[in-house]
Amino acid sequence: MARNIVIVFLASILFFCFSSISICNATSSIFNPVSFEHRSAALELFSATDGSFTSLEETYEALRTFQILGVEKKAEISPVACPLVVETLTSPSSNPEKLFNALRVQQILKCGVDADLFEGVASKLEAVIKDASSLLDFYHSVGSLVLIKNEVPESNIVLGDADSTFHSIKALSQSDGRWRYGYSGAESSTYAAGLALEALAGVVSLASSELDESMIVTVKNDIRKLFDSLEKYDDGSFYFDEKVVDTAEHQNALSTTSSVVRGITSFSAVTPGKIDIPGDKILGLAKFFLGIEVPGTAKDLFNQIDSLACLENNRVSIPLIISLPAIVLSLSRKDLLKVQVKTVLGSDAPPVTVKLVQAYKTSAKETPVLENQELKFDPKSSIHHLDLLPLGIDIGNYIFVFRVLLQDPGQKQIYATGGQTHIPVYVTGFITVDSAEIAVLDNDLGSIETKKELDLSKENILSLSANHLQKLRLSFQLTSPLGHLFKPHQVFLKLRHVTEVEHIFVVGNSGKRFEIILDFLGLVEKFYYLSGRYEMQLTVGDSAMENSFIRGLGQVELDLPEAPEKATRPPPQPVDPYTRYGPKEEIMHIFRAPEKRPPQELSLIFLGLTVVPFLLFLVGLLRLGVNLKNFPTSAIPATFAFLFHAGLGAVLSLYLLFWLKLDLFTTLKALGFLGVFLFFVGHRTLSHLASTAAKLKAA
Amino acid sequence: MANFSIFFFTSILLLPLLCQSFSTANPTDKRILVLLDDLAIKSSHSIFFKSLQQRGFKLDFKLADDPKISLHRYGQYLYDGLILFSPSINKFGGSFDLASVLEFVDSGHDLILAADSSASDLIREIANECGADFDEDSSAMVIDHTSYAVSNSEGDHTLIASDDFINSNVILGSKMIEAPVLFKGIGHTLNPVNSQVLKVLSASSSAYSANPETKFTSPPSLTGSRISLVSVVQARNNARILISGSLDLFSNRLFRSGVQMAGSLTKYPKSGNEQFATELSKWVFHERGHLKAVNVRHNKVGETDEPAMYRINDDLEYFVEIYEWSGTSWEPYVSDDVQVQFYMMSPYVLKTISADQKGLYYTSFKVPDVYGVFQFKVEYHRLGYTSLNLAKQIPVRPFRHNEYERFLTAAFPYYGSSFSTMAGFFVFTIIYLYNK
Repeated sequence: MARNIVIVFLASILFFCFSSISICNATSSIFNPVSFEHRSAALELFSATDGSFTSLEETYEALRTFQILGVEKKAEISPVACPLVVETLTSPSSNPEKLFNALRVQQILKCGVDADLFEGVASKLEAVIKDASSLLDFYHSVGSLVLIKNEVPESNIVLGDADSTFHSIKALSQSDGRWRYGYSGAESSTYAAGLALEALAGVVSLASSELDESMIVTVKNDIRKLFDSLEKYDDGSFYFDEKVVDTAEHQNALSTTSSVVRGITSFSAVTPGKIDIPGDKILGLAKFFLGIEVPGTAKDLFNQIDSLACLENNRVSIPLIISLPAIVLSLSRKDLLKVQVKTVLGSDAPPVTVKLVQAYKTSAKETPVLENQELKFDPKSSIHHLDLLPLGIDIGNYIFVFRVLLQDPGQKQIYATGGQTHIPVYVTGFITVDSAEIAVLDNDLGSIETKKELDLSKENILSLSANHLQKLRLSFQLTSPLGHLFKPHQVFLKLRHVTEVEHIFVVGNSGKRFEIILDFLGLVEKFYYLSGRYEMQLTVGDSAMENSFIRGLGQVELDLPEAPEKATRPPPQPVDPYTRYGPKEEIMHIFRAPEKRPPQELSLIFLGLTVVPFLLFLVGLLRLGVNLKNFPTSAIPATFAFLFHAGLGAVLSLYLLFWLKLDLFTTLKALGFLGVFLFFVGHRTLSHLASTAAKLKAA
Repeated sequence: MANFSIFFFTSILLLPLLCQSFSTANPTDKRILVLLDDLAIKSSHSIFFKSLQQRGFKLDFKLADDPKISLHRYGQYLYDGLILFSPSINKFGGSFDLASVLEFVDSGHDLILAADSSASDLIREIANECGADFDEDSSAMVIDHTSYAVSNSEGDHTLIASDDFINSNVILGSKMIEAPVLFKGIGHTLNPVNSQVLKVLSASSSAYSANPETKFTSPPSLTGSRISLVSVVQARNNARILISGSLDLFSNRLFRSGVQMAGSLTKYPKSGNEQFATELSKWVFHERGHLKAVNVRHNKVGETDEPAMYRINDDLEYFVEIYEWSGTSWEPYVSDDVQVQFYMMSPYVLKTISADQKGLYYTSFKVPDVYGVFQFKVEYHRLGYTSLNLAKQIPVRPFRHNEYERFLTAAFPYYGSSFSTMAGFFVFTIIYLYNK
């Protein structure tokens, strides 16, 4: 307790030692200075086909970004851009914005424009300034004049009435430090504030005589007020954003912040005295730009790089960025703790001392494991380093608290180092796994039935069997490189049934050993009474453990009691999606088999046989000696008898036709006629025969 | 009032021009609403957005709490797809809410949803409605101590490198993704009974979902390869949904980052994220795997006209043309596993149809000897493809009475006997009447 108080006391003293208030952020993140990734991104984003961009503004943004990042592309761009610059400067219809962009491109490319041309443009711009009514007009024309002045040093361009111009711009400012775009009814905006400050800086540098000191002081006050609207991210970065989202000139947070940074840095560069802005806020702004990492659009990249270049060399305070090339340090590789202190654009910082104020485990914030270590500086690689091995740092996740101290105390006003920086560091190493064993115990006595040694450095293929009255015990030891007990984040024992039902157990540690006892009697319900083979798998893993592993241990054959009726069913297991799709088995229709028929010959033989009785009948008749003596002899009865038998023959032939081709209706119709005819002739024939017979009897 | 009616009529006239969703008639409409938490995402995920824009999509970026968000106007949807890159949003702006997202999807539109460890209840609920359950523990992240991405700036093994992709050329493109995909975010599980949702990127068997900062005593709810990192849903109405537990997966940083899996010596200069995200977005926005079937016809062998009815045992031919949308045009779809069924209550015939190179599928078979009302059915469900369900009804009749075989030799003895009896009868009548 007393020790804690001392620490708090010391810490508060340290706080006061520094004029800037340190940012103690819990969620620490690491900011890296501009790197080669930005260069490749710049080449990718500002990729113009044969050196031409859509506008002079974009050309300037590309040129400026390449210039800052040290990419040489001027030779490609100037043949296309220079004629455009000259054309814009000579054209009488060019507005201040176009002139401004042309001059900015000219400033970098040095197109070799005549001094006379500049003179002409300058006088035109001076006229614009006289009756300018909007902030953008002021911004563009003042900016252009400054560029011309830099271009032609011998020309004495001065703003005659710098005071009144200054006043006109200042009149657009608001009480909260923001600016308006125009005199009448425009919304106030933070983005405009940046433009205004840049314009004011231009006016100051163009002024023929010293400007009124009090006016500069008011502007400095405005800047301070503007910083009240500074917004903050959790990781300690600061940014400006527009309050009113819904204007036509809406800018995102990056361009707004970028505009303010440009304004402030250029204003502080031309005015005497220092603008009173805390160094940590400037550092926070730098962190905001760096936190974006590599932006995805050309505009964003320009804003980021240009602002960082403004911060790199400004008169308010120059942020220094502390970064670690690697935050994962391996004890087995004997990694050194390396720290770099650089400016935002990645150039070397002035001589500094880096101190490791404190290091504590993330799990135990109150007990630091290291305190007050000074890092050694290697001037060759400009890296501050510290060897952790002799300091007895074991593996684990730590928060390292660094402080950067300037070796020259006089530079404290120039540089912002931002107090303490909290950086998470992961120290990793090899964990020794030993005395691993697995045993099946009898429930009552706890006596060991089977016990097997395990080698967890490779897959095991054990085969155990147990019933629900027994227990399974798995135990092993984990030791860290420094010989301490190591508790990994993940120690799982997984039992997987053949039906894919999985059960996961967290293996706890009792004292030095990791041990889990599975009492199957208490687990039968959880196991859904599923007997059979279970695959065992042990997973041990931790972010600090270099040899995290997942190992199959083998199988255990469980003999569990039958499931009672009300037992819960195992949950459905995911179906393999590949089996759900795919073609189905083909189905062919099985046609009905045709009925069995006798062979044709047989049918024909039987056909022949059916004629035999008829033939026998005829033979019988002949043998009996039949005659036709009763056939009427007179003409009319004979005709009727003949017709009668012809009719009968016709009916029988009709049957034959019915079989061969006729349908039922035709047959019945014909039969009807034939029937009537037959009835008539039959009646006549039969009555004739009857009368002949009666006569015979009577005779 | 007059103005109103003019407006009303013009809007009615315009109705057919406004497209509802991905339709086979207007597949080139590609308006997408992108909802962001922070406009910075537009810049930090620009490669992904740019790849969409280069493929012809019109992206409309809005903040998720913008009060002016609306998906439809006058009953017509203004967008064909929705990208929710706003994991932490608790309430959308305007009248846009959970129900309208679901309605949007229900009407056949596509959705890409990315969450991360800050995922709000609203985002979780949307994912849940789509069939993916994010880990309920809001502080949990997917951790993998054996297949993490080796990195100097990340030490807690939450940046996972996974190469356990779904084995489907249609979802992930025909070019194999060689480098592992980097993932940092939360995991989800899929309901095993839901057959619409597919795991595209799975975690390895040593992964688990937990808070990396705290110790736990009971096992985490999500472990092993059951954890899905990225899933897709293809709804029955062919709406497609992509659910990712990581928004960073789509970021420029991970697109550009190199990747080396723990325990492996191969170091890939570029992660598989860009290819993975681009190919997946192609699938989600129907640039791949969207099939249409046209010109379904059938006829008797030897004829060309489609009959109104078949007789049992007829031989018939069946044709169908299948095309796949390639993003710009309909290309012939050639596959050897399309099947047609001749179906009445259950399939009587199920046959694989063969295709020529122009996407014309042809088969022929014999009508079964069962009569009734049949259907030609093509039910084509393949992993990643939109399903084709074609059904065409056709009655099948039995033989007519005069269509059977007329003179059976086997029956000749019967005929013979009756005709010989008839002849006998004829002779008998004569003999009987006139014999003396």
